Amino acid sequence: MNRALRKLAVLLLLMAGFWSVPGSAHESQPGLLEIRQLTTERWEIVWRAPIYYGKSHPARLALPADWRPVGEPSVQRLASADLRRQVVTVPPGTLNGSVIGFPGLEQTITDVFVRLARLDGSEASQVVRPSKPEAVLRGERPWHVTAGEYLVLGFHHILLGIDHLLFVLGLLVIVRGNRMLVKTITAFTVAHSITLGLATLGYASVPGPPLNAAIALSILFLGPEMVRVWRGHTSLTIRHPWVVAFCFGLLHGFGFASGLSVVGMPRAEIPLTLAMFNVGVELGQLAFVALILLSYRAMRTLEFRWPRWAELGPAYAIGSLGAYWTIQRTAMMF
Amino acid sequence: MKRLGLLPWLAAGLAALPGAAQAHLVNSGLGPFYDGALHLLLSPGDLLGLLALALLAGLRGTTAARAAVTALPTALLLAGLIGLTLPVIPNLAWLSTLAFMLLGVLVAFDVRLPPVIIAALAGVYGTLLGLLNGSTLATMDAGVGSLLGIVLTAFMLVLLASAAVVPLHAFWARITVRVAGSWVVAVGMLMLGWLAQGAV
Repeated sequence: MNRALRKLAVLLLLMAGFWSVPGSAHESQPGLLEIRQLTTERWEIVWRAPIYYGKSHPARLALPADWRPVGEPSVQRLASADLRRQVVTVPPGTLNGSVIGFPGLEQTITDVFVRLARLDGSEASQVVRPSKPEAVLRGERPWHVTAGEYLVLGFHHILLGIDHLLFVLGLLVIVRGNRMLVKTITAFTVAHSITLGLATLGYASVPGPPLNAAIALSILFLGPEMVRVWRGHTSLTIRHPWVVAFCFGLLHGFGFASGLSVVGMPRAEIPLTLAMFNVGVELGQLAFVALILLSYRAMRTLEFRWPRWAELGPAYAIGSLGAYWTIQRTAMMF
Repeated sequence: MKRLGLLPWLAAGLAALPGAAQAHLVNSGLGPFYDGALHLLLSPGDLLGLLALALLAGLRGTTAARAAVTALPTALLLAGLIGLTLPVIPNLAWLSTLAFMLLGVLVAFDVRLPPVIIAALAGVYGTLLGLLNGSTLATMDAGVGSLLGIVLTAFMLVLLASAAVVPLHAFWARITVRVAGSWVVAVGMLMLGWLAQGAV
């Protein structure tokens, strides 16, 4: 099993460098737009645009033309975002159906959470994606619409998380046998679901920079283990890969939580959105595993034969990428 | 009869899609790599060509399939990189349609080509796809990331489809594959008809 998988991993890794551009294995932080009612006609707009690869985010906020600004907006530069506050007057009865645009968002991979809070205590939220960079404000939204948005968000989040996918790929190369494969993937899933839940509900938190460095370290860790498999040696990881998958899965769960902003989420919606986001992550992960296993079978059917030394490529590539990200992310902490 | 009734609609739909896809690169919201992958998956002409090539290679056995799986993405990548630097290529939908029709004919007649010819066909088809897609990407301000999305998706499609056909030895199973080839030809003929009428 491992040999053909290693060949496949070589091909995937050749693409990985470009795949990650501009992702570079960083979590993509979502944007946040809060619209809070102050009086009958006055609303406070808080636009939190994440720093995008070290620069101001290219997306702008385009409010409806009939929303009149009151005073000058305040702009504040935070460590991870630009914060813009503005009070506007909205003609009574016109809020529902208003369209807020985010020109420039379509050039990015950033999702934006939009939260609307009224004086009567009612709240509504939605997710704006780069493929359709606008939010149409409505009152009540059916629960399944919100659920669907968060499911897609989770699915997209794992597809963009090349570091998570590389970790799973490394596990697939190490694991021997279908039973152990199921056990390992399940352990990873259970572990990251636990920490995703804890982090989202606010029971636990890990600062971003050391977390990202630790996630990179988990990828670096798998490189030498893959070499051991190639040499026919054994280790705790090779004998019990599910243990490693579980331990590092706890870290990766905190990473997934960074894609789920609870700041702008109505509290009543947190259980549903958290569950659906996690389901989306799992579906993405299963799709990736299925694609790898199908490709592995196909390569075996076609009897691809590569030089034995080339089979070490994935181990060194995964290890090198892990080392690079570990050094880079550690350096960013200081 | 019922199948034939569906075919024109299918062809019309497929013929209409590439035009829309060429207007601008599909925005997946996931960055250029996935935009490129989605671009290929939403280009029915390219998909039919890749399917026909995979069926043809699979029918000819392991060696031929392996040759196609190697030659196609290599040619696609190299030609795509060249295509990215080329000035705008005029709409050559008829050429890509003729190319996948030819592949469909070879599948339908189960033509016994040696692996080296299969590899050559994969290389030529990959070059054609690469030049067209590279040039299209250039007009959309898309770059190497999108091209790689196209290449990896094409590689996966041909790998999976050809490996699915290789183990088929039963007479009826091979006939089914050949029927799929004839469908590719039929869809191509209808698409050519629409192209000739200027509907696309």
